[in-house]
Amino acid sequence: MFRHTPLRYAALVLLIGAALTQTFTAGYFGLEILIEILILGMLVLALDLVAGFGGMVSLCHGALMGVGAYAFVTLNVLVGLDPWLSTLAAVAVTAGIAWVIGAICARSHGIYFIMATLAFGQMGYSYIFESPLFGGDDGMGGIDRFDLTSIGLDLNDSKTFALFCLAVLIAVYLFAAAILKSGLGRSLIGVMHNEKRMKALGQNTWRVKADVFGLSGIIAGIAGVLAAQHILFISPGMLAWTVSGEALVVVILGGLGTLVGPLIGAAFFVVLKHQVSEVTSHWHLVVGVVLIAVVMSRANGIFGWIEARYGAWIDRRLTDSTRTETPEEILTDA
Amino acid sequence: MTTDLGFWTLQTLNALQLSMLLFLLSIGLTVIFGLMHFVNLAHGALYALGAYIAASVASVAGFWAAIIIAPLGVALTGVLLYGGLIQRMRKSGPMAQVLVTFGLIFALLDLTRILWGDLALAMDTPALLSGQVNLLGVTYPTYRLFIILLGGVIFTALALTLARTQIGAMIRAGVDNDSMAACLGINVERLFFVVFCVGCALAGLAGAVAAPLLSVTPGMGLQILIPTLIVIVIGGLGSLKGAIAGSLIYGFVQTFGAVLAPQLASVLIYALLAAVLVIKPVGLFPAKG
Repeated sequence: MFRHTPLRYAALVLLIGAALTQTFTAGYFGLEILIEILILGMLVLALDLVAGFGGMVSLCHGALMGVGAYAFVTLNVLVGLDPWLSTLAAVAVTAGIAWVIGAICARSHGIYFIMATLAFGQMGYSYIFESPLFGGDDGMGGIDRFDLTSIGLDLNDSKTFALFCLAVLIAVYLFAAAILKSGLGRSLIGVMHNEKRMKALGQNTWRVKADVFGLSGIIAGIAGVLAAQHILFISPGMLAWTVSGEALVVVILGGLGTLVGPLIGAAFFVVLKHQVSEVTSHWHLVVGVVLIAVVMSRANGIFGWIEARYGAWIDRRLTDSTRTETPEEILTDA
Repeated sequence: MTTDLGFWTLQTLNALQLSMLLFLLSIGLTVIFGLMHFVNLAHGALYALGAYIAASVASVAGFWAAIIIAPLGVALTGVLLYGGLIQRMRKSGPMAQVLVTFGLIFALLDLTRILWGDLALAMDTPALLSGQVNLLGVTYPTYRLFIILLGGVIFTALALTLARTQIGAMIRAGVDNDSMAACLGINVERLFFVVFCVGCALAGLAGAVAAPLLSVTPGMGLQILIPTLIVIVIGGLGSLKGAIAGSLIYGFVQTFGAVLAPQLASVLIYALLAAVLVIKPVGLFPAKG
């Protein structure tokens, strides 16, 4: 099951510290990169929740984020609803759609699950792309950020918006961790390890999968609303399968099923992308090679590798009988 | 419009042409999956590579040289990929394979951009095939008929090879139960290698014949990947029957959807895929029951 090891706490504290330092020292461009990382962080948390702890490798999470963004903009800009109410409704719509997708795909496994979620994601992409109602391939603009001037915050300022996104990301992280520690989260991990056994124990396994997929949709929806408010413009490209593919790449780079790792992966990925883009226009080549190297190294991403090293180090330090858990157990538990 | 017989003939030919192009791509992918349980997402990138090689060769040595050299060049790339990456990934789970080949897509995409630039290349149809023919009351480009014919020939050749020859029997045995086939003295690993190379060559051939129809761009591999995956999932992984059935279903739904219900066309095929996965999660004609 999911557990916060001291190493994970340390990584979280470091990440938050780095984000805060960046917020107060970086210029406009640095803040934009930070916000991009924070929003991507929410998306990859949503994906890690289903892929890392439920074995449901989804290629529709980018599309779910896009649904959140489009639902928010439609309600807020086209219908003229209150922004907070629009957010609530957009997140609810995304979660509902995610639950249905999860319920339909719950019977599929492995490559079929990937393909089924891909199909749903592309369905959403094609629909939005062709639909005149949602602006088609022109996208939609005219978006405003939340108005928090009543409590003295101006979100149109990049620094304030970055802090706001950081706060939301922390809340989302706590939400994801709470799900994993709940009975539902434990059932999910059980289903991932042995679905037949969980069925024999009387678990309604498709329901567990669908529920967590729906909860993951809540997070993707929140990420979508913030992504819309960040760029102040939405286009069908947000729903394209390559967005989901990149999110998956980030989760793998960071460490599947560690919850902390994907956040590190998000920071690493976005910074790498911008750094490489400055030197050469061929950043895809670099990302491709890095991805192949990480997967071939058989380490569970950056954070998985650190955890394995740390586990081995602890193991050497404490070889006495007080230890009850081997590092392998820590890893498989995670 | 819809009562005119010529309209139906024309659209049927269009649908067949799209189906055959997809068939050339999906057959390689599906047999590689069926035999090796290997998910090669980079198949689309190999198709793009085939188109680029063909366009380059055609500008020097003409069309016919291009459609012979392109499959060979792509097969050679396949050999390198097999030796460098795929052999090592054989025992990994599907997740790792998806990711490695996903990384390959990124790398190959940029490699083609470095080698050939960002601009779209064009390739001319050969003089022999550049005209139009009258067929059942409609005039139709000869080149598109050639693609339909080529697809038909390849399908027949593969069907005969799989059903009637010894190597076909070995492949079928390998798909059905690879460890049992290995026990019977079949060198399954070498069989994998041959099938992988043939699959790559067919992807290269698809790219080469598609090049005169579409403009050759770095993104063409990504564009074709999703239709190809849809084809093999609808058809069922690992079988020739599934690949041809899936290709025909995709080609006809896409073509007729676009003219009869343009609003729904793009969503239709994904809805169909979702329906197939819900009703028959392993596709219509999977290699294994």
